[in-house]
This record gives sequence, structure tokens and C-alpha cells, in this order.
Amino acid sequence: MDFLDRYRDIVPDWETFRAVQSRPLKSSARINTLKVERAALLERLEKQGLECWPFQWYSLGLKLDVESPGKLLESLLGFIHIQEELSMVPPLVLDPRPGESILDLCASPGSKTTQISAMMENRGLVIANEPSLARVAALRSNCERLGAMNVAITRYDGRSFPRGLFHRVLVDAPCSAEGRERRGPGVIARGSCRRSLDLQALQIGLLKSALRLTRAGGVVVYSTCTYAPEENEMVVQAALDEAADCYSLRLKQVRIPGLQECPGLEEWNGASLSQEMRSAARYYPHINDTGGFFVAKIVKG
Amino acid sequence: MSPRSSRARNVFEPLEMAAVAELWKERFAIPESAFSGYRFFRKARSIWAISDSQPPGLSYEAIGMRIMNCKDRPWKPTTCALQIFGPYAKKNAMHLQADSARLFLEGKTQEVDAATAEQCESGYVVVFYRGDVLGCGLYSHGKLVSQIPKERRLAGREVKICHERR
Repeated sequence: MDFLDRYRDIVPDWETFRAVQSRPLKSSARINTLKVERAALLERLEKQGLECWPFQWYSLGLKLDVESPGKLLESLLGFIHIQEELSMVPPLVLDPRPGESILDLCASPGSKTTQISAMMENRGLVIANEPSLARVAALRSNCERLGAMNVAITRYDGRSFPRGLFHRVLVDAPCSAEGRERRGPGVIARGSCRRSLDLQALQIGLLKSALRLTRAGGVVVYSTCTYAPEENEMVVQAALDEAADCYSLRLKQVRIPGLQECPGLEEWNGASLSQEMRSAARYYPHINDTGGFFVAKIVKG
Repeated sequence: MSPRSSRARNVFEPLEMAAVAELWKERFAIPESAFSGYRFFRKARSIWAISDSQPPGLSYEAIGMRIMNCKDRPWKPTTCALQIFGPYAKKNAMHLQADSARLFLEGKTQEVDAATAEQCESGYVVVFYRGDVLGCGLYSHGKLVSQIPKERRLAGREVKICHERR
């Protein structure tokens, strides 16, 4: 018995979900097309006898069988970036285009920022916001190593980010990170409902801010690496409710071909949520052999 | 230092491309065309480059990439900037073999022979390994001092420069 047990009724194939928590994840990396072509990178790895397996659902994602992949020359040169598999999903759902203006509200350490920059082929502008000075160092270092030349870094409290009208905004919110248990055991042991509720207020503030900063017709993606509905569907619901007086918002289906998702929840702990919420995606670790993630896509009317 | 100048330290001021390109042309014979498509800014004694776009009026921690440090003379290119612009260098470029490249990535100082240092004058050089830019080195009197930032160095035993399989 532990904190995860409260999800028994919402997670399919409960026993497998429980069992997989103690199985560590293989390292994974993203090919950085700002600096190298996919074919050239794969050839380099092969010549060195390094084994890697491209994801079935994303051709730039690789599983690696290397002890410390961050120490590979390819990593130091910025040809690859060590990034968890599901962390590559939110930028794909955000779907940024070259030339657009993008805000990444909770950017550090910049895995998703730099993926967005690569998807934009370094054209247009990405504002990467990170309030913590200590965390800005990692963000800057990753942007520079990966050659993300269209990124500017700010240090505002995301809830009161002052101005701008962006085509797309990513809110990869601070969360209880239960979905990271396979990367660093102990996360779940520290989880509590109290903690999720404390984070909830911050998360709602961030999402509301993102909605305010998005232009009409623009897209907001909200993601976390936790299972807690308090930090996921309930945050999206609260922000939608509060913003409804100002503008029209609708949820769009999140679906990545080749990756199996479960629908967002329509109710939790007796509270009913909008039916629209099933358009959001819950990714569980035992279904795709990954970590855990939640992703919702909101379009501003 | 006056209050005005201390405030100015945190301000990004636009800079003409020609002024930046001229310096890189002089030291590395990199053509000006390599710098088209970027905007340049100065913040205190460093120079930054960002893809051509107009950043909105916000308070910035970084605008694109810090490409040069002009605190001392001569000016120093950053390793990350050399990985972008260095491939165009036609002088002050040094090509290392595997063992020297490993030492360079570990942040060490090493002696280099005359053949390796051919076409290199004293000062900062672009260091290559197998056609890839590893980063910035300081060359003088037959010695090459690695300028790889600490967080991007390889620690002694963790090196993963692999020779190709035969």
C-alpha cells in the first residue's frame, strides 16, 4: 500500500502498472537536427559500435544502451540531447512552425525548449522563461550546446509574465513527478495529496497566464509528469472555468500515432469534470514501457 | 562605478553585424555571409547572437547565444559559437588526432607539433576533430590550452571518444 493506490480505479491493468514502477527505464536521447542529420548521426553511432533503437512513434527519438550517454562525444557536440522519451511528446502536440512566436513558460532544463527550436529550424522566436536563477544555468547551457539560436531567456514568475501575444504557449508545469519513479525511485514515497493540492494553485496560475498570453486561434499545451488528477484535469478544468468569461476555449484531441494513450478523466473523487477532458492524454508506464505523463491541448477561439 | 554604468551592465544593446563579422574575418577568415540571418547584441563586455527576429520588450537573461567575450584582449570566442561559425574558418584552425582530442576535451594543456599548428598564430584557435568543431583553444609557444567550459569537459575515466571499429 502506498500513495499510488488511490489511482487503482483509473489505471488500466493495475497489477502491471504496480510491477513496472521498480523497473528502471533505458536511457533515451533526441537527435538534434539543428546540428546533425539523422542519417549521419545514426551512422556515427553505428561506426562506434553503440547500440541504439529509434522510437517507433518518433524518428528523432532513440533508446540507447550506454552507461553515461551524456558523456558521449555526440552529446558534448550537441548532436544528441539526453531526454526522457515522453518528454518529447508535449512539443509535438504544441506543433510549433518556423517563424512563429512561442513561449515556454517553465523552460528549464530546456529539453522541450530546444526541441521546439529544432522543430522551428531556428526560425522565429522562442521565449524560454525560468524564474530560478540556478535553473537558468542549465537552460542556457543546453540551448548553447544544442545550437538553439532562436531562444531568448527571461526570468519572470510565470503567473505574472508581463506581456506578449504568442502563437503557442507550452506550460510544462512543476509537478509531483510521480511519472518519474522509474528514473529516480523515491518520488512516489514523497507524494501526498497535500503536496498535489499545494502545486495545484501554482499550476492553475501558470495555465491562466498562458491562456492570457496566447493570441486568438493560438494553442496552449499543458503537461505534467504526474498521475495526480489534482494537478492535471482539475487544473485544466479550473483554468477553463475561470477564463471562460474572457474568451472561448476548447480542448483538442491529443494523439500521437504509435503511442498508446488513455483518455483524460471525466470525474475524480466524486467531482465531475467536463466531458471534453477525455481529449487530454494520460500516458502510463506499463502501456508503452515509458515514464508517466499527462498532456492537454487547448485552442483559444 | 556610477549608477548609470551599473545599470547598463544588464542591458542588451543592438550591435551592427558588420562590426562583429569584421573581427571574425580578421582572426579566422570567416566570411561575413556566415553571420547573415542573425541579430547581434552587446551586454556589458559580451556579444550575443540570435536568429533574425525582433524580441519583444522584456527583461532578458539571455538573447540567443553568447558568442564572444571582450573583457580581455584579444577577444575570446565561446566554444558554442565556434561550433556554429567555426566550420567556416580558413585560418587559426587546428585539427587534432584522437589522443590529443581526448586531452583537449578533458580541459588539459598539451604540446602540439609544428604540423598540427601550421597556419595557427598565437591566440584563440578553432579546434577540430574529424571534421567536427570541439571548441575553443588558446595556442601559444607550441602549447594548446583547452578553453572548454568546465561543465562540458570529460572527466578522465569517462571518456567516450571511440575509435572506429575495424
